[in-house]
Amino acid sequence: MSHLFLSLGNQPFISLDWQVVAQLLNTLILFLILKKILFVKVKEFIDARQTEVDKMYADADTAMAEAERLKNVYSESIAGARDEAQRIVTDARRSAQDQADAILAEARAEAAVLREKAEADIVSEKKKAVNEIKDEISDIAILIAEKVVEKEITPADHEKLIAQFIDRVGE
Amino acid sequence: MNGPEILFYIPLFGGLPVTETLVNSWIVMAFLIVLSLWLTHDMKKQHISKKQAVVETVVRMLYQLVGDTMGEDRLYFTPYIGTLFLFTLCANLMGLLTFRSPTADLNTTAAFAIIFFGLVQVFSIKANGLKNRIKGFAEPVPVVLPLNIVGEFSTPIALALRLFGNMASGIVVTSLLYQALTWVSNLVFGSITSFPVFAVGLPAVLSIYFDLFTGCMQAFIISMLTMVFVSMAMD
Repeated sequence: MSHLFLSLGNQPFISLDWQVVAQLLNTLILFLILKKILFVKVKEFIDARQTEVDKMYADADTAMAEAERLKNVYSESIAGARDEAQRIVTDARRSAQDQADAILAEARAEAAVLREKAEADIVSEKKKAVNEIKDEISDIAILIAEKVVEKEITPADHEKLIAQFIDRVGE
Repeated sequence: MNGPEILFYIPLFGGLPVTETLVNSWIVMAFLIVLSLWLTHDMKKQHISKKQAVVETVVRMLYQLVGDTMGEDRLYFTPYIGTLFLFTLCANLMGLLTFRSPTADLNTTAAFAIIFFGLVQVFSIKANGLKNRIKGFAEPVPVVLPLNIVGEFSTPIALALRLFGNMASGIVVTSLLYQALTWVSNLVFGSITSFPVFAVGLPAVLSIYFDLFTGCMQAFIISMLTMVFVSMAMD
């Protein structure tokens, strides 16, 4: 600094003068200023960010736990749904089988009824045919007999002859 | 050996001498204030700039140092300890820029010691009460009472003299070395030139030790000792 000012001599190498007070005040003033514009300001800033980061981490943890919970819920319900679907398919299969069995049984029963009926029909038709044949034969027999005896026979004789004839034919 | 040069007088009380010490202190103060303002003027929470990273790192380190030395519950000392450290560090390193270090003047270091003494008294009484504080002087046995009282004053005196001695001795040794090298130069090259040939280079190397190394070291030491003794006084 010496070149900037007119030299006024030097203080002793070791001296204590009023500048102690000046330096005391300088230090305190610098302390108050730096405290405000540097230390407290930066520290508050760092702390605020730290708080924010801590909050973000806590939020992330919460969100992750929530996601985990939801994932469990979903996988449980998916597993439930799969079981349900399986059950439905099984039920449907069983009911379809039952239905098919029932239809088959019904068809069988119906077929049996039809067959019985057909058999009965056959028997009755046969009987009917036999009776018709009987009548035909009796008419023929009468004609033949008339031709043979060339005479009227009484209805009583007639009946008797027919009966004898039929009995012979029926054997 | 010259003391700090008187630059002007304040016309009060018959003229108060203002030396390089005071003016250089103002330069350091202005430097630190401007630097702080510049480093902190647009701090962001995300995507921070390099200068913000620097200022945050420095402030965090100082808080961490105070927390480690004095305890996490005494972090409120950081602004003063940090100021003391930064002020002392810059003042010490001024020697590298050919300024006379303000810390090479007993006035400056004595001011630090007075503040230290005040801190010890105030926080000791605050922490333990006036009664325990007075009682503490007679412990462990009343015989040591005078020793404790002397110790109470010798600590700040030692603090002031340590920093002053270290920084002033740098100036003394450097100026002695210059004189010696000039003398040797004159002896060898005296007939050719009056330029002190040997004074080129070697003092710069020595300045690294006395100004840079000692400067950083002593700034750290006075901050450390202030923390330790204030903390001890509070326990």
